[in-house]
Amino acid sequence: MTIVVAYKWAPNPQDAAVGSDGSVDFSRAKSAISEYDPVAFELARQVAEATGAEVVGVTVGDASIDTSLARKAALSRGLDRLVIVADDRLAGADSTRLAAVLAAVVRGIGDVDLVLAGESSVDVTEGQVAMTLAGQLGWLGLNAVSSVSATDGGYAIERDVPSGTASMVLTGPAVLAATTDAVLSRVPGMKDILGAAKKPVEVLSLDMLDVSSAQVTLTAVSASRPAAGNRQRVIIDGSDPTAAAAELVGALRAAKVL
Amino acid sequence: MDFGLTDEQELLLDSLRELLERECPESYIAELDRTHQAPTSFRLALHEAGFASLGFPEEYGGTPCDAVTLMMLTERVSQQGLNNGYGIELLQAKDILEFGSQEQKADILGLLAAGAVPFALGFTEPGAGSDNSAMTTTAVHRDGTVTFNGTKTLITNALDAKYLLVMAKSSDGDDERTAISMYLVPMDAPGVSTNKLEKIVWNTNDSCEIFMDDVTVPDSCLVGRQGNGFRQLMRNLDLERLVIAATCLGLAQCAFDDAATYASQRVQFGKPIGSFQLIQLKLTDMAIKLENIRNFVYKTSWMVDQGIPLRSQGALCKRYAAMAAFEVADDAMQIFGGIGVNAGTRVSRLWRDLRGHRFGGGTDEIMVHIAGRQIIREHR
Amino acid sequence: MNVSSQTWIVVADDPAVTALVVAARALSAEVTAVVAGRRATAESVAAAGVDRVLWLGEPAEGTPVEAYAPDVARTVADGAPRAVLGSSDGAGRVMLGAIAALLQAPVLSGVIAVEHDGDQIGVTRSVFGGVAERRDLVTGGPAIIALAGGDVGDPSGAAVPVEEVTANPLTTGRLTGVRKKEKAPVNLGAARTVVAVGRGLKAKADLALITGLADAIGGELACSRPLAEGVDWIPKERNVGISGQQIAPELYVAIGISGQLQHMVGVRDAGVIVAVNSDKAALIFKQCDYGIVGDLYTVVPALTAALAPKP
Repeated sequence: MTIVVAYKWAPNPQDAAVGSDGSVDFSRAKSAISEYDPVAFELARQVAEATGAEVVGVTVGDASIDTSLARKAALSRGLDRLVIVADDRLAGADSTRLAAVLAAVVRGIGDVDLVLAGESSVDVTEGQVAMTLAGQLGWLGLNAVSSVSATDGGYAIERDVPSGTASMVLTGPAVLAATTDAVLSRVPGMKDILGAAKKPVEVLSLDMLDVSSAQVTLTAVSASRPAAGNRQRVIIDGSDPTAAAAELVGALRAAKVL
Repeated sequence: MDFGLTDEQELLLDSLRELLERECPESYIAELDRTHQAPTSFRLALHEAGFASLGFPEEYGGTPCDAVTLMMLTERVSQQGLNNGYGIELLQAKDILEFGSQEQKADILGLLAAGAVPFALGFTEPGAGSDNSAMTTTAVHRDGTVTFNGTKTLITNALDAKYLLVMAKSSDGDDERTAISMYLVPMDAPGVSTNKLEKIVWNTNDSCEIFMDDVTVPDSCLVGRQGNGFRQLMRNLDLERLVIAATCLGLAQCAFDDAATYASQRVQFGKPIGSFQLIQLKLTDMAIKLENIRNFVYKTSWMVDQGIPLRSQGALCKRYAAMAAFEVADDAMQIFGGIGVNAGTRVSRLWRDLRGHRFGGGTDEIMVHIAGRQIIREHR
Repeated sequence: MNVSSQTWIVVADDPAVTALVVAARALSAEVTAVVAGRRATAESVAAAGVDRVLWLGEPAEGTPVEAYAPDVARTVADGAPRAVLGSSDGAGRVMLGAIAALLQAPVLSGVIAVEHDGDQIGVTRSVFGGVAERRDLVTGGPAIIALAGGDVGDPSGAAVPVEEVTANPLTTGRLTGVRKKEKAPVNLGAARTVVAVGRGLKAKADLALITGLADAIGGELACSRPLAEGVDWIPKERNVGISGQQIAPELYVAIGISGQLQHMVGVRDAGVIVAVNSDKAALIFKQCDYGIVGDLYTVVPALTAALAPKP
């Protein structure tokens, strides 16, 4: 019984330098476990604590994702071991590409019941990779998952749906994307952090993996910064709240939005 | 010389920061300070994340850890604005680890691992503060028991703790130092009574008088060897001084950051007060003191980790850290002006708590006594 | 891969498809819908202005719509359209993911504009959480595009026949029940005025201040992400930002919101943006029309009072 946690080691775009030509430079930004991924680690850990399943972390990206700190940061979150593909040919790879590589890794691990992922990544924020991974594997893909537990012969899950909360039973492998507040992820503890260095890490070569090649590609035409928005930026001093309120209400009435 | 953090230190500090955000916001600390309560829920959260059993051998449920890392964690908790939030209990338990019986070790370390306060230090008496060997509490051994009579005062955390680590005179010998023994006495033993003291500093640690009136317990309560109490106590005093210094560092950093932020936002005479030179002078000198305290704390921790004898280093570090940290808080109070002296403000709490560290754990003056003699001895 | 001149839309049991239909019509004269889910949904889509509806059959009891993703993908691949559009919410992502995997094509998200030059599709997207925009041409096959779903007007069009096609849904997941939500649905997208609150609010009990302002101004309540999850003071549907709603009200009032990118992307197209924040260096003051630098706990009551009808 193996549960895979598919996560990302990535920087926050807030820390990137964006040129006037729309180029995005992440070189000064610090990477970390992607903001919405800890919940996937926690769900995996809770299921594994109940079932004794092995928890394997998987991450793919460019060469910079494989650092000692990155490995330990992941291993300190309840993983038994870690598998990484770090190759500069994956720099800027789209969601389908990343999903194809992840799928090859998951197939190689074998005997995987569940792949758990976060809702979306902190840097790209599309919320697509996990569901495309399901497609690559030919498995059921479900997002907005708010609860996972082991049950006889499979897993019981809950999901947020527009009308409320749906409960489901899984009897085969699936890829699940968790809502960010599915569960409060525990803070990596002392023992986890100090023990991380001892856990196994496997680095797989992209050339050795059987990855479907891309059929459709994007040809870049142009890039730009988002339009500044031409906001008026009228700043009012709020230390006299009554006067400030009067000034604002007056301006909004004049602008005919009130 | 590598002043950077290891991966483990970065991850530990990240976790600690997250834990503090969740379990120890300023509103929590302010409320505890106002109501004179201990940070029990935060202590439990630290325990659950495994931070409570740091620096101990694994066979007692601990995780071995170096002094530099421990001081980083102590500094960070203090920087949140919480006084005595981390480090003190762990370090006190080292006494038991080194000298205690198997049963005592299991008991105390088990309590620590469960996030409880295992014991309070029962040394100070009304007539024996800095002059600790002038104590008059007696421990009479007879027929497999020990009977205690005496009064301890200004004892911290006793009301929260299971035991009192009592230093008492166990014989009538001339040399006061060989007459003192160390004992673990249960706080709920018949004959033990307490009187809570209201103080103006360290509100999140209770302080009380403890009266022992014919308190009789089995002599298995002895820690280590009879007559060896003083020497046993001295053993870990340096480590205690280091933890206090790291605590002072964190609290002072918090006060400094608050004051600098305030100075950049508070407008008087049409400008932020941070643009006036007298405020800049204060902030600059505060920054220098913080850098000094930091270097002192981590160099001393490094010496501990390298097994280099501290000699006077611990005393020098504690004296400087406590005094300089208080000066930083005092300047911060001045920068805040009238706002700082309002009850419930963080800067006023930091100022009060830092004042306590100038006599807690050994006064500024005793540190001179310790270091001064050592310096002369080394230069003979 | 050769593509036809058609644009397809994929529907995962949600009949509110007019946004997708409008977008599809802008790309092609011929629009086909492939529908997974109940017959009623297929019939609704058939009257929403598409030219053809392919329906994967009535799901057996307990079969989730996501189980049809491989069938949706296969059907789209057979049709080889120049573009396929799906909803960026919920099961839409699952369908698009299956199509992307089968065609080995990227799913395009954060789309600002789509245009075509013959069969070549060009897409302008907001990337990296909104820090930049880029325009790309899609080459080698269909453009798979995720768009905000929902209805942008009343569906219109002569109803076309619903053509049932065989499907072989995955059997590895079974629905066992749905626990209905108590709250009434929220339509932030339709609100003329929205009052949003962020981390500047210290306690849940203080929400009364904000709802007081919302009532006085006649606006809907919204929030930035931290208040919708984690702290859980406000329902998720009211979260505005890259992971929540993207709205364009005439007036947007942001209280105690710092102005982080991930939030501001959600209101980029608002008419007038007003901000209240105690930190004069807050990012939002560069992205608003009017900003009050002050303590929300005094400014918001003052605003509420100023908006009250004069006796």
